[in-house]
Amino acid sequence: MRVGDQQPPWRVVRAFPQDNGAALVHLHNVSGGVLSGDDLHLQIEVGPWARAQVTSTGATRLYRHRNGAASQQTTSIFVAEGGLLEYLPDAVIPFAGSRHLQQTRIVLAGGATLFAWEIIAPGRQAMGERFLFDSLRLHTRIETPHGPVLIEEFLLQPRARVLDSSARLGSYTHTATFYAVQAGRPGTDLRELERKLGEIAVQESRPGCTIWGTSALASDGVIVKGLSTTAHSLSATLAGFWAMAKIFLTGEEAVPPRKLK
Amino acid sequence: MLELLQLADSALPVGGAAHSFGLEALVEEGILDPHNLADFLSSYVAESGRLDAVYVRRAWRGEDIAGLTVELSARRPARESREASLKMGRRFAELFQALTGARMPSPVHYSIAFGAAGAVIGISEELVAQAYLQQCVTGLVSACQRLMPLGQVAASQMIWNLKSAILDAVSNSERLDGNCYSPLPELGSMRHASIETRLFIS
Repeated sequence: MRVGDQQPPWRVVRAFPQDNGAALVHLHNVSGGVLSGDDLHLQIEVGPWARAQVTSTGATRLYRHRNGAASQQTTSIFVAEGGLLEYLPDAVIPFAGSRHLQQTRIVLAGGATLFAWEIIAPGRQAMGERFLFDSLRLHTRIETPHGPVLIEEFLLQPRARVLDSSARLGSYTHTATFYAVQAGRPGTDLRELERKLGEIAVQESRPGCTIWGTSALASDGVIVKGLSTTAHSLSATLAGFWAMAKIFLTGEEAVPPRKLK
Repeated sequence: MLELLQLADSALPVGGAAHSFGLEALVEEGILDPHNLADFLSSYVAESGRLDAVYVRRAWRGEDIAGLTVELSARRPARESREASLKMGRRFAELFQALTGARMPSPVHYSIAFGAAGAVIGISEELVAQAYLQQCVTGLVSACQRLMPLGQVAASQMIWNLKSAILDAVSNSERLDGNCYSPLPELGSMRHASIETRLFIS
């Protein structure tokens, strides 16, 4: 692994070799969170046939804005031909009064594989915070040689638009998303993977507490979405989806970061 | 105008009656009922409806239909709802060609085909987007009448009361941004296949 350039507040903790030959890389935010006015940029490139797992050392805390200044994180990821990236960050926690924009663009070359997840909490639950942030805007785009296979773009402004409508979150508060994408994978395989992941989704769902659903994307991949009233067990369940998808798409076992073991 | 009224009639033979776009699963799981349906539809129009209106507008303006379709497919992660929109789009495009002789490429999403057709018949962009959402809402309420105790007068009243939500969604779609936040309907669509007895394809 090579660190091209790094500047505070991010620090790349040295790569740990994994049993399967991949490099496990921890990203650490030394300031403890994303501050008002921060403009963070993360660029990851996985070379041809290389394998990498990137995770964080803790939840991404989005702090309250000061003088109206929003924070921003822009992530650009490229996985070269035959490469594999596992991008498994901890949850995003928007504190009361935070204003944040997160943009993520992931480009996969032919035969490249991506496993990625994202968890968004409603705030600091231990302090009774629930959707007290000012705004949270996310834009995620995944592309393969087929073109865009996933575009997710939303702006949450809880004071302007209620989130507990049954057309948005209903009684749920936490969202979890998992992507398994392999550029060039045939649609019939994706439907089979959707079916297998769907079995886990049914097994792990407890309507009123946590629900999961899964779907083949328009091409190249599968998405899993979950809604929950609690953060409890979301990471463990996501790891279950990841393990199943990795075996299916690569024939390899998923090797979780130590914190999930 | 008469052409637009016909194209926006929920009875148009494009297969809309076979789809609930995930609502069947939400009703089955007790998330959606007659008491919160009006609020649901109002928010649904503001999110998913507004996104569709963006694509109606872009197609009306003459953007490449194939490119728009790939892009909207990427914004519709739930397979059943995405495929329903593509099926209805194909049938609408075929019907429109039979009626007018105007050709439209396929695959195409319903909203995109509708927007392109609106431009061909010379109706204003705003009105075409409003008509599209009006027929969407009518179709969803009709689906709900088969899923829950909802009488004809109550259903008509609900559609009537959603006019301002439709106008707002179309007005807000003028920015052409792709913001849409509708996790529960998406999950409803993703979980629909796991329902044992289904009335709808999606």
